[in-house]
Amino acid sequence: MGAAAGRARTVLITGVAGGKGRLLARRLAERFRVVGVDRLPWRTPPEGAEVQAVDLRKRSFEQLVRRRRPQVVVHLALVRHFQVDEAERHHINIGGTRAVFEHALRYGVERVVVLSSSTVYGALPDNGAYLGEEAPLNAALLSPEIRDLVQTDTYSTAQLWQHPGLSTVVLRPVNVVGPTVHSVISRYLRMRRVPTVLGFDPLFQVIHEEDLVEAVVRAVETPALRGVYNVTGAGAVPLSLVIQEAGRATLPVPEPLLGPLVDRLFRLRVFPFPAGAIPFIKFPCTVSGRAFKAATGFRFERSLRQTLTSFR
Amino acid sequence: MDPLAALRVDEEIEGRSARLAVRLNEYGYDPWGFHLGTFQRAMVLGRWFYRRYFRCDTVGAEKVPRGRVMLVANHSGQLPCDAAMLAMALFLECEPPRAVTGMVERLAARTPFVSEYFVRLGQMTGTPENCRQMFEEGRAVMVFPEGVRGLGKVWRDRYRLERFGGGFLRLCLECRTPIVPVGLAGFEESMPSFSQLRPLARLLGLPYLPLTPTLLPVPLPTRCYITFGDPIRFRGSPRDDDALIGKKVRRVAAEIDRLIQAGLSRRTSIF
Repeated sequence: MGAAAGRARTVLITGVAGGKGRLLARRLAERFRVVGVDRLPWRTPPEGAEVQAVDLRKRSFEQLVRRRRPQVVVHLALVRHFQVDEAERHHINIGGTRAVFEHALRYGVERVVVLSSSTVYGALPDNGAYLGEEAPLNAALLSPEIRDLVQTDTYSTAQLWQHPGLSTVVLRPVNVVGPTVHSVISRYLRMRRVPTVLGFDPLFQVIHEEDLVEAVVRAVETPALRGVYNVTGAGAVPLSLVIQEAGRATLPVPEPLLGPLVDRLFRLRVFPFPAGAIPFIKFPCTVSGRAFKAATGFRFERSLRQTLTSFR
Repeated sequence: MDPLAALRVDEEIEGRSARLAVRLNEYGYDPWGFHLGTFQRAMVLGRWFYRRYFRCDTVGAEKVPRGRVMLVANHSGQLPCDAAMLAMALFLECEPPRAVTGMVERLAARTPFVSEYFVRLGQMTGTPENCRQMFEEGRAVMVFPEGVRGLGKVWRDRYRLERFGGGFLRLCLECRTPIVPVGLAGFEESMPSFSQLRPLARLLGLPYLPLTPTLLPVPLPTRCYITFGDPIRFRGSPRDDDALIGKKVRRVAAEIDRLIQAGLSRRTSIF
């Protein structure tokens, strides 16, 4: 995809109004015609980008794909927070992803890039240190609340063999942090006193939002790319150090008390995740990003310190 | 909150740890969570146990080759003091000093505080994948093929090797890694146990519960003997038949047995 031919090409971004979507749209608008969709409006899109407020599961989305005929779809519109109820989240994530692939196949899209997450592997005490893409997706075992994300990932990777003609790229980045990211993890790390599990301090792997956006750009631009890839940034340090670098204090709580406390606070909407997600602050879930680097030449640019101090 | 924070790191520890082959990030951690500062303080404490408490008598540390290597030893003494002292020998007596990665029982990762510290000290849950990653880094890995069966041995079975698993040998064949057999002697007497109290242990979720003369889980200051053997470089396929692998495993076990006896022959008294 040369720069000259690139200008005429169209990239459709779902979930464009989110933090990562906005960064990505700005980057891609330099070289592509960008069509962004989101359920929420984005009033100040970059020049050369068109943004529509549509629901992926509605006919208006199909119409948009039919009319704009994008060559690439970047699917960012997955709900990862727990502010909507489980059934609703399930329908948005599974239904939305299904719509993306169905329309992509029908209207001649060449490549679909899905932004999954390394959380699908699950945080388990027996996890190998740096998991490869072939590792089983165990997240639902200890954290059933996120099984829809595992299912979405599995559905997307199944497209690889079901539709060999479509270039499907599933990215599983580690924890994304940065000044504009609003995620469960960033909400957790921005609490005044951050509850942790007493006696446990797992390695926590991070990538800066700008580095992640660069990785997605690579996934859009690298010729003949298809497959499942972990995406890693500057590295991993203990969770307590992440919290310290975020300028917050830890509040270690014995595990038998932490579960009920988290559940109570979660129901009062002052804690960002339910007790089922506690394994992610107790056990490690670190992945190897080697395959993606080899396939695309991606290199992170923000150092570990820059990454960890970027969202104070 | 670090219980080791009060320990002062001196020139010896500082100098030796500067020569470790570990990749540290700007916060002093390696990619697997090893932390140099924590490790140095643990070395201060460990050195006291190595020189003053167990008065370890180490022979053959110069046989440990540079680069990736697997140290295979017998296991005993109820608490893994033998593993800690072998790690100390590798740090204090080898040239260049080594920070060895023990392939640890899965229980450790689930135990509060232990789960935190064993990682900071460069230890890992004993899975084949973890071991491969360490070999790829050129690190030294320590395994006890007897596992907890060896650790929980009772008095009448002392110095009798438990059955060795074969996984370690297949890994070494796969990763073309030399094995250095090590015989550990003296730890058996540091905490004699007369029963594993299995029913009570099961109730507490432990693999065994030693019944010791002092009734306390404190090792006695026995004199300990660490004997390194010559590196063995096996040839063959990691997918070979169990019988073929078993033959190689038995050769390692026999060598360890010989090295234990070599240690015991240097002993004049238990203490």
